[in-house]
Amino acid sequence: MAETITTFTLLKPCSIKYNSPRATKAEFGSFSRSLRQNSCSRFNNGRHQIEDRKNRRASGVRVEALPDLQLMAVMIEHLDGQRDIITHKSIWHLSDQAMKNVYTFYVMFTCWGCCFFGSTKDPFYDSETYRKDGGDGTGHWIYEKQEDIEESARAELWREELIEEIEQKVGSLRELEEAAGKKEDQFVS
Amino acid sequence: MAAATPLHPKTIPQFLTTPTTSSIPLTHFTNLSFFNNQSSLSSRKPGSSSLTRPAAKKNNRWLDPFEQGDDPEMEYGQLFSDGKQDEDPRPPDNPGNPYGFLKFPMGYTVEVASLGLKIRGDVRRCCCVVSGGVYENILFFPAIQLIKDRYPGVQIDVITSARGKQAYEINKNVRWATEYDVDDDYPDPAEYTDMLGLIKGRYYDMILSTKLAGIGHAAFLFMSSARDRVSYVYPNANGAGAGLFLSETFTPDTANLSEGGYNMYGEMVDWLARPFRSVPRQVVPPLKVSISRKVKEVVEAKYKNAGVSKGKYIVIHGIKSDSKALMQSRGDTDSLLPIEIWDDIACVIRGLTPVFVIPHERERENVEDFVGEDASIVFITTPGQLAALINDSAGVIATNTIAIQLAHARGKPSVALFSSDDKAKVFVPNPEEKKCAVITSKTGKLEDIDVEAVKNAVQIFSMPLAIF
Repeated sequence: MAETITTFTLLKPCSIKYNSPRATKAEFGSFSRSLRQNSCSRFNNGRHQIEDRKNRRASGVRVEALPDLQLMAVMIEHLDGQRDIITHKSIWHLSDQAMKNVYTFYVMFTCWGCCFFGSTKDPFYDSETYRKDGGDGTGHWIYEKQEDIEESARAELWREELIEEIEQKVGSLRELEEAAGKKEDQFVS
Repeated sequence: MAAATPLHPKTIPQFLTTPTTSSIPLTHFTNLSFFNNQSSLSSRKPGSSSLTRPAAKKNNRWLDPFEQGDDPEMEYGQLFSDGKQDEDPRPPDNPGNPYGFLKFPMGYTVEVASLGLKIRGDVRRCCCVVSGGVYENILFFPAIQLIKDRYPGVQIDVITSARGKQAYEINKNVRWATEYDVDDDYPDPAEYTDMLGLIKGRYYDMILSTKLAGIGHAAFLFMSSARDRVSYVYPNANGAGAGLFLSETFTPDTANLSEGGYNMYGEMVDWLARPFRSVPRQVVPPLKVSISRKVKEVVEAKYKNAGVSKGKYIVIHGIKSDSKALMQSRGDTDSLLPIEIWDDIACVIRGLTPVFVIPHERERENVEDFVGEDASIVFITTPGQLAALINDSAGVIATNTIAIQLAHARGKPSVALFSSDDKAKVFVPNPEEKKCAVITSKTGKLEDIDVEAVKNAVQIFSMPLAIF
């Protein structure tokens, strides 16, 4: 009976499971359990560690440098009556969540990099053009100032003309009065 | 059609049975007794035949299919129905007012403003979309003054091209002048929508356009949601459908409005000046420009720098160049003379200094080559500065550029050189009144102009020499 059972175990880099005899006797159950362990969140891992510490007080504190990252896979081909064939695969295996995290980080880093390094190419970077109080020095970022200036200039023009007209009218009135005054003087004299 | 008896009770179920036209006529019916009277107010009054407005005869059936004309039994009172509108009675805004947030818009007693707007056809805010450059815009000034006279207190805004906008430096009647290239047939979508939002947000009562409108431009004006949308339309097939979106249309004889010369906006001005109820026909004011003190100072420094003093020089304008600031009309493209001919003309001027106005700095060398190193040259590109220069001069010699019109507006004597008699008649209608000597080329080309005749005409500037 040449039944081959191939199992596939994901190992954490710092894990000691690989050395333990339980892991070498690979079973589907242990595989699925380890998968379950791998897919659980960081808090759960931490809790396991705490439990481990409670169980074996003699051992030191284990720290996982890369908690969710599986850097190595071990394939075990099990044949009856023969020694197990153990194949090591040094492939990164990431869970879906981890992949999402990686890509999210990649995208965010790219965006940040574009902004940051792009802004260092900006000739006005951190210059007075950007850092001063506002588009026009008033503290308001309103760019319709030009039209306002023109409008007020025209209003000023209108007032000037009005004053001129009034002055002309007043002048002619004064002339009339003076003429009338002279006539009166003539009549008086 | 059932519209003839709209208030008959049985008509409404009839309409309900026809699914295609059921909803639309119903909405009109609800409005009919109310709106029809008001819209007809502005069109015709049967009792007084002398007051018919020219638009009444070519009533556009598409605009309101239920337009029945005037209600003969309608009686108008005095208030808000007759005469001109009033100016805003409010005092000017106090910037130190602690209740600044209570500033109402220039609404002219907002509670009852709609009465005047509906019944009398008031115009509180008016927008003029002016096509063309400096020349076309300055010739529009009389129309702006006319609107100001006809609707006291109106706020007039202008939308025009970048070059044309500069002309409003010398117009006191305009509030905002906004730059938008009206003549661009394919505007940038962002600019288009931006401008649309701008004019819509300003809530105009009347929008006038001197661009020949096709259906596209008419839709642009329509989307401003102004009450009166008045525009020229193309005289050819391009104008098809434009009338749908406009409340008043004018069809010029040619596709180039500028060929109309000084009275290029004649039809529109005629419509603006129309009599209404007891308001008589408005008099069309002459072209006037006003120059601010600031511009005068700037220009004074410029011509003093060129070595001339006030009132002792003659402005020469119309030197051939490839500059954008030539300020010539679109209706007369042959209106520039090369510097050789100008040199011939200028050398007969005695007692006064000819000042050559160059539209671009690169023309300076050219002028110096022909006239000499000591020639008085002033670099001017804006109509405002040109007007100020002319205002301080003794007279103007120019081809058909805006300098001629500015000289007339400021009452200065001028010599105008034209390529043909027709152009001269159109652009300077009555030269004697305007102290203008018109000289035309016999061949129809401006370069063949009779320099001797020009030299004789230039002598009119030498007349006042005896005074100096």
